[in-house]
Amino acid sequence: MSTLPRFRATAGRVHLFNLSPAFGSQKNQQRLGRGDGSGKGGTSGRGNKGQKARSGNGKPKAGFEGGQTSILKRFPKKGFVNQNEKTWAPVNLDRIQHWIDEGRIASSPEKPITARELLLSGCVHNVHDGIKLLGDGAEHLKTPIYITPSRASQSAIKAVEKLGGSVFCTYYNALALRDCVKGRTDRLSAAPTRRDDIVWYTNWRNRGYLARPAVDKNPLATERTKMLSAELLKFKQQVFKQIQ
Amino acid sequence: MLSLARRNISKAVRCLSTQADAPVYLALSNLLPSQNANEEVVALNPSVFAQPIRRDILFLCVNHDRDALRQGSASTKTRGEVAGSGRKIRPQKGTGRARLGDAQSPMLRGGGVAFGPKPRDFATDLPRKVRMLGMRIALSSRVREDALGVTSSLDWPLGAKTGPFANRIARLGWSHTLFLVGSSTGTSQSHIPLTPDEIVRAQQYFDPSAGLPPRLARVTRNIPNVHLMRAEDANVLTLLKWPRVVLDLAAVDYFERLLGLDVPEHLRIPAPPPPLIPLRFSRAIAGRSGKFSPRISDDDQGQDVVESVGERQMFE
Repeated sequence: MSTLPRFRATAGRVHLFNLSPAFGSQKNQQRLGRGDGSGKGGTSGRGNKGQKARSGNGKPKAGFEGGQTSILKRFPKKGFVNQNEKTWAPVNLDRIQHWIDEGRIASSPEKPITARELLLSGCVHNVHDGIKLLGDGAEHLKTPIYITPSRASQSAIKAVEKLGGSVFCTYYNALALRDCVKGRTDRLSAAPTRRDDIVWYTNWRNRGYLARPAVDKNPLATERTKMLSAELLKFKQQVFKQIQ
Repeated sequence: MLSLARRNISKAVRCLSTQADAPVYLALSNLLPSQNANEEVVALNPSVFAQPIRRDILFLCVNHDRDALRQGSASTKTRGEVAGSGRKIRPQKGTGRARLGDAQSPMLRGGGVAFGPKPRDFATDLPRKVRMLGMRIALSSRVREDALGVTSSLDWPLGAKTGPFANRIARLGWSHTLFLVGSSTGTSQSHIPLTPDEIVRAQQYFDPSAGLPPRLARVTRNIPNVHLMRAEDANVLTLLKWPRVVLDLAAVDYFERLLGLDVPEHLRIPAPPPPLIPLRFSRAIAGRSGKFSPRISDDDQGQDVVESVGERQMFE
């Protein structure tokens, strides 16, 4: 039997004076220290004296175990926290195909799928530091898709390109990603500056957008992208002289 | 009975229809005496004007509206705020009386108040969908009681004196009526003050007749049991407080686009944000963190989202 809202069948017009809440939805709060009849008068459920009966916290500090070596002190510290770590928002190929089938997302070489489209259509719930395209469910992918994620797995790249689509992994720093999501085109997105990023995004194996084949194939590659690609690929020809 | 006939604004022309989504037909009323009275009919969206009545939802919405109206300015001084020095009034031992510190303790006459009221924000949250459902139920209840009227437009072209208008209201039997006027362009033109300066300015220079038809506003101003307001400003409390409600077609369009359940995307009006409160008593200060996620909109070119207290970046 389904639970129907229980309320008194008040006939007549609706006024401000004949409204009432759903039965059982508003329970009176327990008020301590208000007489014997309530059962919580006097010491208000705290017992008699002692540290726990006092006002305020009642405990010396968080994690204190009465003097016994606390769980926080028993074990040694370990490792470090990587400040440059990035959290990629994963999106798999089967999910994208499902979104295309429902008509919630579409792509073309001139308008590729970016973080903005994925977020607005609900394909991802949060872009974090960028989108990573993963290849789970690659057998369900039927349409060629044109996508510019921050990262992509090798199996995803292979599956997308087999159908004639394209993947160009683009570098987004925090500001560039925000502009992408908000649809701002008045600012330039920064080029990668860190060595790891430059090496990654100039690598065609990763389908990095600054690799030579990417700059040639990408219809959205601007003069600036071509210039950046040429400059940043110079490290491959650099030779370091031995200091005698 | 004459009084019964006077109370009803317009009887809903009830059609015998087995369809759940059949529109509600209402004969158009008229503020001005006109020849073709009761000849025009308006079809109202049933999801907005024919909702089943849920008094518990109305209860929640009315409480939410009344909480937001609270001024919250009751204030007392604690023992730290009462004027006075910290001198110990009498020695700790030897007097035979109770021990006392400074003269501002709550135990003493003239001392501070322990746990007294402080200015705070009494506004509560209510899910947006419950608020919208409450509006639909309130409008539907007025339709059900034959206490809702629709006119083609709300205006008074017969001069600026209150007398003729009051006579007309008496003749129509429209005392205790709320007139809701929608904006003429069809979309809400109200600018929501966002920056702290705009909020303060909106509080200081409140113009009560902004957005209202000026002739009608002038003529209704001095009649206490008739009220004119914008449809955008109506809430459940207002709709239930006034026994009769008269909308104009623009207001009907506004409500259907705001509240209707099957509105196409390009016509939908987003739910208005909860009423803004002065920055002094903002939720961040009252102990609740005001978290707002940045709105994603296409017309965001070159405008940075306002950084107010407690705003959290979407990807941090």
